Amino acid sequence: MQHYLDVFIAILPFLWTGFVQTFWVSLVAIAAGSVLGFLIGVVRSQRIPFFHRLFGLYIHILRGTPFLVQLYVFYFVLPNTGIEALQWSSEMAAFVSLSVYTSSYVAEIIMAAIDAVPKGQWEAATALGFKRLSILALVVLPQALKLAVPPMSGVYVNIIKNTAILSVIGISELTRQGEISIMRFPRDVLFIYGVIALVYFVYCYPVLRFTRWAERKVGGTRVVNLD
Amino acid sequence: MPPSDPKPIIIAESVRKTYRSNDGRSHLALGGVSAEIGRGEVLVVFGPSGSGKSTFLRTLNALESIDSGRIVVDGVEISDPGADLNKLRSEVGMVFQLFNLFQHRTALDNVVLPQIVVHRRSKSEAVRRAHDLLGKVGIDDRAGHYPSQLSGGQQQRVAIARALAMDPKVMLFDEPTSALDPETVTGILDLMTELAAEGMTMAVVTHEMGFAREIANRMLFMDSGLIVEEGSPQQIFQMPRQERTKEFLKQIL
Ligand SMILES: Nc1ncnc2c1ncn2[C@@H]1O[C@H](COP(=O)(O)OP(=O)(O)O)[C@@H](O)[C@H]1O
Ligand SMILES: [Mg+2]
Repeated sequence: MQHYLDVFIAILPFLWTGFVQTFWVSLVAIAAGSVLGFLIGVVRSQRIPFFHRLFGLYIHILRGTPFLVQLYVFYFVLPNTGIEALQWSSEMAAFVSLSVYTSSYVAEIIMAAIDAVPKGQWEAATALGFKRLSILALVVLPQALKLAVPPMSGVYVNIIKNTAILSVIGISELTRQGEISIMRFPRDVLFIYGVIALVYFVYCYPVLRFTRWAERKVGGTRVVNLD
Repeated sequence: MPPSDPKPIIIAESVRKTYRSNDGRSHLALGGVSAEIGRGEVLVVFGPSGSGKSTFLRTLNALESIDSGRIVVDGVEISDPGADLNKLRSEVGMVFQLFNLFQHRTALDNVVLPQIVVHRRSKSEAVRRAHDLLGKVGIDDRAGHYPSQLSGGQQQRVAIARALAMDPKVMLFDEPTSALDPETVTGILDLMTELAAEGMTMAVVTHEMGFAREIANRMLFMDSGLIVEEGSPQQIFQMPRQERTKEFLKQIL
């Protein structure tokens, strides 16, 4: 027991650094990805053929390929194009790729939520003389966002867990810091991974609880599945 | 009928409308419909389900586009590319079978919001107006309730108040009592009778024939996307000319 306590105290600074990195990268990805996904979802919901298809393709590509592959594209391929703006650090590549990945899920949820608002709401507002943008902003989106809350928190948990993959490009997030710790205490592999899993769980659990709470609050209808 | 201004408020000429579904099939919903609504007139439209009554009403405020024909509302041709459809729609009130109240807003806000957004009224003026109208339709004591907390009849009252808040020149009612419990139907019909008595121009799709006989200046019988017969309530009920009208009336009376 004393041994585990010693190991725990020894790796605590690493875990803390890792957690802070994981926290930031997931926060940035969730914030940027949600804003981007929101915009894409709203545009797609308007069914303007060209944009609907263009962003449909964007979503299909992002959801149909492993995040690891996307990460490599952002980290290895894009900086090699010679374009100045794409000469980014591994940290920047991590932020951008995870945000883009997040946006594809958020966009689908937002579009599904907008579609789930009954047509009668559009019709009533149109018949009253509302412009299309007013209908969207004042009538449909307030109702759609409520529907989007439960599935959205599910995505957020997924994003937090996916930050672990960022270790492969040297981002010193939680999993990476764990691996460094294991190099120092190779015989405590199991224990260290256990502690790391626990930290992820402690971070994700409140988000999951929030999902349950929001589901009950909104009426428990999941408007989109997340496979 | 008090035709102070003899020009009809709405003129529809040979209106055709086809619905196209995604699988490429098309369905002719209106096969050339011509009708007029005079100022101060109450027009009742009836006919079997699927005959195109709703579609016809919805073309009148451009909720549905048309394939061909002409619709003129208060002198403005609505298929004219320069026509201000939002302004036109605000002048044509519409009441739906399923009320379509804004679910995230209270009864009061349902009546306030369109005034602010569409007519740019000040908040205080809109609120005052909303309370007046909710009082008029007999439901001001429920002003703070959300639609989900109101009965169907109460929701329809709010919906009528909301439409009236735009100061419409004409009101379209699409089966306003079809989704209501029998005991609340009368209240809504009485409210509409009151509006008609105040001189509101109205086009009403309804199956309530007793109400139609009382309120209508003129009636249209529609079947298969066409107006089969048109006439005064006396003429329609006592001596319908078309076989199809007779048959239908026999079924529902
Ligand atoms: N959005 C739509 N898409 C395809 N067909 C429709 C649509 N709305 C109505 N229809 C069809 O058009 C016809 C007329 O419908 P409608 O105007 O609703 O009739 P009514 O109100 O008299 O019952 C019906 O056959 C109906 O199935
Ligand atoms: Mg109908």
